Amino acid sequence: MIAMDVLSDALFAAVAGMGFGAISCPPRHAFPYIALLAAAGHATRFCLMTFVGVDIAVGSLLASLLIGFGSLWLGRRARTPMTVLYIPALLPMVPGRYAYNMVFSQIMFLHTMNDAHERSMYMDMFFSNAMVTCSVIFMLAVGATLPMFLFPKRAYSITRRRR
Amino acid sequence: MSDVGAFVAEYAAHMMGCGVHTSRVIRCAKRIGEAYGYEVRVSVFQKSIILNVQGGDPQERYNEVTEIPPLPISFAHNAELSALSWETHDDHLPLAEVKERYRRIVQAPAMPPLLMLVLAGLANASFCALFGGDWCSRGIVFVATVAGFFLKQRMTAAHVNHYIVFALSAFVASLCASVSLLFGTTAEIALSTSVLFLVPGVPLINGVIDILEGHMLNGFARLANAALLIVCIAVGLSFTLMLVKDSLL
Repeated sequence: MIAMDVLSDALFAAVAGMGFGAISCPPRHAFPYIALLAAAGHATRFCLMTFVGVDIAVGSLLASLLIGFGSLWLGRRARTPMTVLYIPALLPMVPGRYAYNMVFSQIMFLHTMNDAHERSMYMDMFFSNAMVTCSVIFMLAVGATLPMFLFPKRAYSITRRRR
Repeated sequence: MSDVGAFVAEYAAHMMGCGVHTSRVIRCAKRIGEAYGYEVRVSVFQKSIILNVQGGDPQERYNEVTEIPPLPISFAHNAELSALSWETHDDHLPLAEVKERYRRIVQAPAMPPLLMLVLAGLANASFCALFGGDWCSRGIVFVATVAGFFLKQRMTAAHVNHYIVFALSAFVASLCASVSLLFGTTAEIALSTSVLFLVPGVPLINGVIDILEGHMLNGFARLANAALLIVCIAVGLSFTLMLVKDSLL
């Protein structure tokens, strides 16, 4: 049952990664790599959050580190820059629910201005959701980019043909 | 020299236009210059590139200011043009050959829009699944995304201002997704995932990379651009929410 959950999570993340990748026209041979990275990243975060009890920001950081290193390794095979592989792979991890709640609570805040209790409830909801959204996106960007700075030589010559 | 200079300027402008982070553009441009024995110095801004090419003779130099064209983001161009710079460098290709390969890469047909539409729809539907939406809302999200994305493609082709494109597409996609309210399914999840295909992931990540690598101005310009697009998505979504909020509570 647990294995099924993880697998379906990985599968949906792979489809999402490929689809979001397609919007930015990646080279065709990059699709399998993008799917693999998206699946591995999202499943890692899912496992960390469900079984280890890690919070969403740390989970995203660790998962995006995995994606970053993975794209450094696979980019060499696909002869594509790291960003081509990891940007689509990161997108399924964007905290859409929190971003949506942010917009929703802002509208409700403006709508319930005259009710002190409701107003502060929506204010609280807005800030906690904004906090989660921003820190997760920040963690995703930093985690995936870090390998590029740790191994600049390898990252910068990734599209060079091996001799 | 002027041939090489003009080519490198066009090459760098194209790379910046299709969503490559600044330091890679600079490295690739320098690499091509180096292959022909010239030193290329570039100063890259959000909308233009200043380029200076210098050879052995201090009297002789080439300068150019190029405008960066607003191109659709293309990872394929990013990957293949980067590889082209290494091939030029390693294999000492003649300039005519490099130009020919560049032309072939740039003019290669992009992915068919219909396929892109279906893939984007599937992506958003699986996104809905990741957030715990049921099959009914996944289907609705698929249709909503296809509608929103189709509108985006049409409007982009008609050169509508891209902030308006984002706001309207977000509005239409979320409005279609709000149909899920009628079916008593996971409507909130459907609404929240229906607009996610618009998230400007490329400028966001490129902005962070640019800032971390010291290209502060470009990085902040990219982030500001991404932030504006996100605000547009929020505006589009807000209109839908205002229309349907009573049934959400």
